[in-house]
Amino acid sequence: MFRFSSALDTLLALQEAVEAASTSDYFGLSTTSRGTFPSTNLFQEGDNIILMAEVPGVKKDEIEVQIKDNLITISGERKNNYPEKASVHRLERHAYKFNRTMKLPVTVDINQVKADYENGILRVVMPRAESDKPKMIDIN
Amino acid sequence: MNDKEKKEITVQDKKEVQTKSEPTIPGKVYLPNTDIVETDKELLVYMDMPGVSKEKIRVKIEKNVLAIDGEIDSSPYSNLKPLYTEYNIGHFSRSFELSNEIDQNGINATMTDGVLLLTLPKAPDKQPKMISVN
Repeated sequence: MFRFSSALDTLLALQEAVEAASTSDYFGLSTTSRGTFPSTNLFQEGDNIILMAEVPGVKKDEIEVQIKDNLITISGERKNNYPEKASVHRLERHAYKFNRTMKLPVTVDINQVKADYENGILRVVMPRAESDKPKMIDIN
Repeated sequence: MNDKEKKEITVQDKKEVQTKSEPTIPGKVYLPNTDIVETDKELLVYMDMPGVSKEKIRVKIEKNVLAIDGEIDSSPYSNLKPLYTEYNIGHFSRSFELSNEIDQNGINATMTDGVLLLTLPKAPDKQPKMISVN
């Protein structure tokens, strides 16, 4: 901490530091609350469950998606390649090895699952299994 | 002890406020996570912008401010009903002030897998020089 000759100078420095922090980008909005990685959204479109995950910087062949019953697991690794002899000014992105399992609200038909990866977003489209859909029962 | 002086309301001097400019396109704007790494001859800026394709990125330099904007395509989300969300969908924008050590004509930008890499070369006369001893 700085030591100033007078208490008022210390207060002024503190006030300037707070103002600088509030106008900087540090408290800005980011798409996610920096919790688990990768950030995942689950959507429903008709009878399909769609999972979308933000995984920028991961190559397509470094992602693995596994499905069993109503559990989906996505795993992979994100490596950051920085040149050697580099000094770092700011590091907000992290290199991660991730492995996440999510429980889906319905059982899905594994044979009809499609997954694609574009621009850092992984999308898995999973149709609901026929056996999971409720059947109408006639009343005699 | 109970006499309190009447306090007058005084008008404060106007302070200079640094405001960010208001957006004109619809949709929320978020800050992309950025790594800034410096080597001997250049500055490397990595920005995470998932969902933004190469054509939707705008990198602009005006005076000494480098402004990066990435537009996201929200059409794949239009018919979807959210069940569980951890991230928001929105455009990306961030700006940086460059020092005059950067050669502004040599800035290069590449985009792979949702990560934008900006290479800012240092001006040649600002690179560290080795001086040999005779």
